Amino acid sequence: MLNKLHQYNLKNIALITLISLFISACGDSSSNQAVNNIDYSKNYPASNGGTLIDAMTGEPSGLIAMIAGESAASAIASNIFNSLLKYDKNLDLTGELAQSWEVSSDQKTITFHLKPNLKWADNQALTSDDVLFTWQKVTDEKTRTPYGSDFKLVTKAEAPDANTFRVTYAAPYAPALDTWAGLHILPKHLLKDQDINTTAFARHPVGSHYYKLDSWKNGQYLKLTRNESATQGQAKIDNLLSRIIPDKAAQFLELSADNIDSMGLNPIQYARIFPARPDLNKNIALYKELGNSYTYLGFNLKRKPFDDIRVRQAINYAINKQEIIDGVLLGLGEPVASPYKPGTRWSNAALKPYPYDPNKAKALLKAAGYEDHDGDGFIDKDGKPFSFEILTNQNKEREMTGVLIQRRLKDVGINANIRVLEWASFLGRFIKPKEFDVVVLGWSLSLDPDQYSIWHSSQQAPGQFNFISYSNPRVDKLLEAGRLELNPEKRMTIYHEFSKILLEDSPIVFLSAGYGLSAIHKRVRGISDPAPPAGIGHNTYEWNIPSAYARSEISEH
Amino acid sequence: MKKVLRNPLALIGFLIIAGILFLALIAPFIAPYDPDAINVKAILLSPSAQHLMGTDGLGRDVFTRMLYGSRISLMVGFVAVGIATAIGIVLGAIAGFYRGWVDTVIMRVVDVMLSIPTFFLILAVIAFLTPSIWNIMIVIGLTSWMGVTRLVRAEFLSLRNREFVLAAQALGAKDSRLIFTHLLPNSLTPIIVSSILGIASAVLVESGLSFLGLGVQAPQASWGNILTDGKEYIQFAWWLSLFPGLAILITVLGYNLLGDGLRDAYNPRTSQR
Amino acid sequence: MLKYLLKRFFWMIPLVIGISLISFFIMHLAPGDITTSEASFNPKASEESRQKLRELYSLDKPVIVQYGLWVKRMATLDFGTSFASHQRPVFWQTKDKDGNITLGMIQEALPITLLINVLSLVLIIGVALPLGVISALKQNQLTDRGITLFVFIGFAIPGFWLALMLMYWTGVQHSWLPISGLESMGHEHLPWFSRLIDTLKHLALPVFISGLTGLAGISLFVRNGMLEVLHQDYITTARAKGLNENRVVYGHALRNALLPLITIFGLSIPGLIGGSVIAESIFAIPGMGKLFYDAVLMRDFPVIMGILTIGAVLTLIGNLLADLAYAWADPRVRRGVMQ
Repeated sequence: MLNKLHQYNLKNIALITLISLFISACGDSSSNQAVNNIDYSKNYPASNGGTLIDAMTGEPSGLIAMIAGESAASAIASNIFNSLLKYDKNLDLTGELAQSWEVSSDQKTITFHLKPNLKWADNQALTSDDVLFTWQKVTDEKTRTPYGSDFKLVTKAEAPDANTFRVTYAAPYAPALDTWAGLHILPKHLLKDQDINTTAFARHPVGSHYYKLDSWKNGQYLKLTRNESATQGQAKIDNLLSRIIPDKAAQFLELSADNIDSMGLNPIQYARIFPARPDLNKNIALYKELGNSYTYLGFNLKRKPFDDIRVRQAINYAINKQEIIDGVLLGLGEPVASPYKPGTRWSNAALKPYPYDPNKAKALLKAAGYEDHDGDGFIDKDGKPFSFEILTNQNKEREMTGVLIQRRLKDVGINANIRVLEWASFLGRFIKPKEFDVVVLGWSLSLDPDQYSIWHSSQQAPGQFNFISYSNPRVDKLLEAGRLELNPEKRMTIYHEFSKILLEDSPIVFLSAGYGLSAIHKRVRGISDPAPPAGIGHNTYEWNIPSAYARSEISEH
Repeated sequence: MKKVLRNPLALIGFLIIAGILFLALIAPFIAPYDPDAINVKAILLSPSAQHLMGTDGLGRDVFTRMLYGSRISLMVGFVAVGIATAIGIVLGAIAGFYRGWVDTVIMRVVDVMLSIPTFFLILAVIAFLTPSIWNIMIVIGLTSWMGVTRLVRAEFLSLRNREFVLAAQALGAKDSRLIFTHLLPNSLTPIIVSSILGIASAVLVESGLSFLGLGVQAPQASWGNILTDGKEYIQFAWWLSLFPGLAILITVLGYNLLGDGLRDAYNPRTSQR
Repeated sequence: MLKYLLKRFFWMIPLVIGISLISFFIMHLAPGDITTSEASFNPKASEESRQKLRELYSLDKPVIVQYGLWVKRMATLDFGTSFASHQRPVFWQTKDKDGNITLGMIQEALPITLLINVLSLVLIIGVALPLGVISALKQNQLTDRGITLFVFIGFAIPGFWLALMLMYWTGVQHSWLPISGLESMGHEHLPWFSRLIDTLKHLALPVFISGLTGLAGISLFVRNGMLEVLHQDYITTARAKGLNENRVVYGHALRNALLPLITIFGLSIPGLIGGSVIAESIFAIPGMGKLFYDAVLMRDFPVIMGILTIGAVLTLIGNLLADLAYAWADPRVRRGVMQ
């Protein structure tokens, strides 16, 4: 008798557990008791203290940005180290360690004057000697950095006195100031006897910026704490804690449970989930800013028939870019017609993307010899159907973009297949050996308009960035001229002209520029909204957490 | 077989598998939509009469994709296990039949393969070969033959000295005849059992690989990648993860129940007297 | 016994050679190299610096020379330093000239993975043993079927899906358990007891998930082992002699049914050391699985090969110990080998 009871129990327990899991995990969370009921709408004066917790998917390999290279590393290192210059909130260059700088009349020499009394976090003086040392390191043959080539153009670097640093180039180099805004200055007194490739300094850095590294638990988190001798003044938030959470779904759960304060969102989370979840909106604010990157469809110009401009233009006309912005980015993106961020001075406002025009596409294809001769619904030429493969890497948005393009191409009779690949094999097997027809990819751009490495015909070797093998003498000339021209107005004309040729030539189809979307807990104050051109991150030192809203330092769970 | 189906769990397993195989077979006839048909105006709709299992982030019908995904997921299982079983039978038969140094070498190779975490091996090889459905099937197959090899070898070793084999050998039967007409047919049951259990594992491995981004690649649908697509919206678009999750659960369960029932029924020691 | 041990030890030599070949082969399946990692696809990176990286890592030497270097490394347990992780030592800590100690990657990850897996093994045994015994005693009754169904559901449910649902349920809806990670904020300031509790809370879900998957194997093994023993002559004899049923079951049958479990544990060692890539990724646990997965995506060959080799060698040692334990527990095995 007892057995009978027991049997049913076991089965039932298994079933009930499962069912209740589904119901509670999938159902709505209006009965949510976990989230505290603090009113985050009150106004408090900006105060010091608190900890900002965010999450990153990968761990930095080290905190010397020129060696580490990955974005996780530079994100954290840029809170620890200063550069000579920086971009302000309107994306104009301004001094960071440098008080001022001047460019010689032949435009080959730049002299930087450092701010007085600069200090490292260990209270040693920061002088032009450190800047010179950093330049020597980044150009040293033994240093394993991919960033050396810009600084190797400097033929002479000198530190005439403790506050002056001077560099001389063989020829005027317009992107020079931009490169100095990207180079973190390293302390000579700690690194002079070290091998920069292996030094323990990368994991125990000493910088001069708002924060210094407090602790680093491998695979778990990095904690930064306020640098009392910071050169740029004092940040308001005491600690920045970056947790390493590889899975985005887990990150979102942590955000919902108020265990992290900020994370990047995808368009669906931003435009669909948040509006439907008042409990989340109560505590979390959303921000969007136009990122400095765009998505494109690129042709392998070495392969037929993509060497034919009519085919490229036809495909450009056949793709409905607005549909991609609406469908993939849920409207959270802008159309692009040049390789520059829309709204910036480098972006040629007169240029418009190719309109969606399938008839014009068909006409161009017909002119190129492609017609549906055999009546199978797909166009062909010399008995061969027009068919190719669209390659992209594992990125949900790019993959969806590919699917939308595939359908539009089918409408004009082109049979395209999509192949999605893991990043390292994508680069190693297809991009570097140029084994592809068409790719859907994105470019992230530096703030300087120089795009020599992407478009110049000399940059086509395996592993270089002009992997679509674009070669146009006029564009080459413009790119060369743009590097030599320091006058912003004249430079602008050069790059506007370059963009115009590029659009007409259609070696790539510009698809869209998406907004960077982030969610930040409402306890964090002082964030500029709407975001200025430099993005919401431009004034993190002014962000603050009122003490009434700070979470307890030792949490219970 | 009758004996097997008298076990209610095995019967359930059998029905589940038969049902899913049938659905996979007739998928193109009952699927209400084109699996790749996008509709940007119908993104993330919850289940309704038009869309039985809702729609995904591109407005594709989840029910249709589940149907087509079943073909991919099951194919991964069948082909991978086919490869593993083929290798296992050949190596196991050689080792068990000829014994001696061949046996030693083969069993050492088995030991080596067993000492490396299998999933690591799969992960590394698939990443390096570029993930594609064929690579996935081949790699899962090539890393899961050790069990079958041991099994077949053990069966052969025990059958090798039975009277009927010795008699056939005395009558001058060739090795191949001995293997194919006497030894192999008598070791079939454990092989079938292990294949059935192997399919279940392969389906799970594929979903795990999808989670890690190394599974069947989009836009091709497999249960694993539909589930992975849905995981980020588990609190919001529950239908995106519930249906593929359940499908994997039920299928794997089905194979396990059937396999276990079969094993039970044919094991003279554990089956009920 | 000594002879058995020696013999068993020499068996391992060909295995080690096989492992060296397999790990080396896997490395050369890869078309790319360190320079294909994501970091290099940056508009400012130049081809010459890529070439420089390639030379520094001696990826240009002939394959046979590379294999020679590899075997040498295996013999000295020196797996060098990671490509992708600022030259961190792959296996064990190193000290630089200033006395800074850099911990080895496997050194850090292995204890975490072992802790999780040993805990889940304890959970599995704790649950699977009684379930298996009950199943065997109630063979083919509803209880038996119920248990079978339950353990198979545990095996069949995709782990990351269940994990996410549990994280949502216990972490977001109820704050019973932390969602991911190994420690709470401020963990190091807690008294030791609270620290222990904190760690256990973080490990609860990962251990549960990996335990659930392993339940089916062990409980069915115990069930079938029990059934086999229960049907044997000496049990029948014992029963016939009128021995108390409990003594028969727990004193005789269970003991003999458990013996082969030793072998099963030997076989489960690769999993113990390898950990679970999926669970560790989803719960943000820096164990061996996560380490290996990251290394694969970054094409960080020293780490991949270090883990494969160290894992395999530890497995061999584990199997050796399991065999010895078995031989010690069951004299028949020892004699069988010595004959």
